[in-house]
Amino acid sequence: MKKKINYFYLVLIIIAGLILVSIISLSLGSVNLSPYEVVKIIFSKKDMNNSLNVIINQIRLPRIILGFLVGAGLSIAGVVFQGVIRNPMVDPYIVGISAGAGTGVTIAIVLNLQFSFLFFSTIPLTAFVGALITVYIVYNLAKTNGKVPVVTFLLAGVAVGFVLNALMSFFMVIGTRDLQKIIYWLLGSLSTASWHDIKLMIPYFLIGNVMIIFFLKDLNLILLGETHAQHLGVDVEKTKRYLIVGASLITASVVSVSGSIGFIGLIVPHIARLLVGPDHKKLYPTAAILGGMFLIVSDNLARILLAPMEIPVGIITALTGGPYFIYLLRKTKKEIW
Amino acid sequence: MLKLKGIDFSYGEQQILHQIDFHLRENEFIGIIGPNGSGKSTLLKNISKLLDPDQGFIYLDKDLLNNYSYKDLAKKMAVVPQDSEINFNFTVYDLVMMGRNPYQDRWGRVREKDRKKVDEALQLTDTEKFKDKSIQNLSGGERQRVIIARAIVQEPELLLLDEPTASLDINYQRNIFDLISNLNNKLDMSVLAVSHDLNLISQYCDKLILINQGYIHTIGKVDEVITKENISEVYKTNVDIKYNPITERPYVIIIPHSKNIQRRKKNSFIVHLICGGGTGKDIMSILNDLNIRVSCGVLNRGDTDWAEAKRLNFEVVEIPPFAPIDNKAVQKNEKKISDADLIIVSNTPFGWGNLDNIRVLANFKDKDILFITTPEIEERDFTEGEITALFHKIKKNNNVFETNDNKELCSFINNRYGKTLYD
Repeated sequence: MKKKINYFYLVLIIIAGLILVSIISLSLGSVNLSPYEVVKIIFSKKDMNNSLNVIINQIRLPRIILGFLVGAGLSIAGVVFQGVIRNPMVDPYIVGISAGAGTGVTIAIVLNLQFSFLFFSTIPLTAFVGALITVYIVYNLAKTNGKVPVVTFLLAGVAVGFVLNALMSFFMVIGTRDLQKIIYWLLGSLSTASWHDIKLMIPYFLIGNVMIIFFLKDLNLILLGETHAQHLGVDVEKTKRYLIVGASLITASVVSVSGSIGFIGLIVPHIARLLVGPDHKKLYPTAAILGGMFLIVSDNLARILLAPMEIPVGIITALTGGPYFIYLLRKTKKEIW
Repeated sequence: MLKLKGIDFSYGEQQILHQIDFHLRENEFIGIIGPNGSGKSTLLKNISKLLDPDQGFIYLDKDLLNNYSYKDLAKKMAVVPQDSEINFNFTVYDLVMMGRNPYQDRWGRVREKDRKKVDEALQLTDTEKFKDKSIQNLSGGERQRVIIARAIVQEPELLLLDEPTASLDINYQRNIFDLISNLNNKLDMSVLAVSHDLNLISQYCDKLILINQGYIHTIGKVDEVITKENISEVYKTNVDIKYNPITERPYVIIIPHSKNIQRRKKNSFIVHLICGGGTGKDIMSILNDLNIRVSCGVLNRGDTDWAEAKRLNFEVVEIPPFAPIDNKAVQKNEKKISDADLIIVSNTPFGWGNLDNIRVLANFKDKDILFITTPEIEERDFTEGEITALFHKIKKNNNVFETNDNKELCSFINNRYGKTLYD
């Protein structure tokens, strides 16, 4: 076993990395700025109408914050699903939960169900309902004799995902008027990111995280096996319910603003686990920060590679994540955990 | 401490447990034994609240088991499950610390007391030396000790164990049970352990529960439960009960099935065996399996073959240790030989002391005689050729046969006497 880097320093390093990546990202784009200028603009609140100010504060900053939230959210959801199912091959995308959330959003767009009440707006809500129904169906489809074998869980997830994707196509066909809107959203992109998007998703995102944080310790025990966990005083069914609902909330909030961005929830938890081990109290923050960073970097690539054209960031993450998933499938050694 | 009243449990249609009643008192060590599929593990799962009984009540102290929250239960009862394989890279220390879970708050903050308890448990289970190792890098026996350490830090009053030594070698078996016994005696934990290793658990526990097809067959002190009748009936196997001279506890020995499955009454067919020095042991075992009546002679008391013949209840013409064969013994032997249908002479060495065992054969011209002739008689002759000459003389008789080894002996008997033996 490799010697683990001191956790405290590790967190400091990745936070520093995150800040660095953020500043560099803010400076990149059609109008090139130096990192120093970026910092100056962010911290000077005076001339609000300055065009540079608008570019940074109204366009690039929300995009980076949203990128962070989406990346972190998908990684957290991945950590939770992998822990609850006790298998490294799971992420919200693979088990069909993203598709469920997407279907919810598609239905909302087609039926034009867009309004908001207090801090909660319908798009994330329908995404959440879609995600929750999906996870419920997949989980129960996979359940045999009170257990959820990984293979059946994956198969059920893939199968349900197919059905949901077909459903989305169906809704797109009947709701032709919104076709472009839906397709754009489905490709998975941060290009429309705005402060409004952040406001839209953040309540769900926060509630989901709070639910998960409350059960991180119990998730460690569930890793040992559900019977072990119960013998050590964990109410396993309740814990699983909270964790799955929390992870679905986060997934839904993320999917509702960014569409389907796959594979982050698969890769990042692994990298984090290699760095800090299986303890979720360390894994959760590490994976969150790394995931946010990963998506910001991917989004930069999406913006820069074919500039001025923009590649949907979902394509970038899938291009890196797909091969990694194949690698995981081939390498069934346990050391990854 | 723990009281079960009329527990019924079924998986779907199939009822596994029927009317289970028993009482585990404070500081008692009870073992649960029974054949595979008898419901032992299911019973333990009912007691550890993993399964809910269909009927009946389980009391832990004065309260119903169902009234305990999982957390409170974990403070009172620790479980060492059957499968303790853990696929995650937790260190031994972290894993043992997880046993403190029921005493920690939601955030799992580790306090001084938690650390102290973990250190104590590591010491007690002798797992301190690999506390920083990953649990995955331990052997089965080491891992089991770590899991027991985790149970100890729960500070339970009752310890449940499901096959704690399954697939461990005898060193670890003893090691683990010594440890459990220690917890029982020194830390005053009550223990309820399921084991299919009758002999192991019988050496340690106060009481045994024998379960058969979901019913309690017998419950009581070890020597009340481990009896020939109980074990033979429940396990449907021929066994014998011996006593461990050191612990004075009973243990079960298995008697292998005889080669022919049909058991017959002792045959009227009689074999007289001339042997000595252990050369007759295997032959006796074969003849015994064939259920043939056997007499042996002449043997010195204390000889290996003499002891074996006595154990198998064969008739033996015997003389004092190291004494030469006297006339009286020769006559007795002659009588036995004339009663027998077949005389077998093992490949024992011959000297002046047992020469008479062969000499007497010369008088029986028409008897069936079978010599085991490997090694050759010349190599076993310590009478300066006398026995060899005698041997060749007898070989000229009518019904004398030779075989090389015990395997051939079997087929010889089956071929020549099969009809008489099996009719």
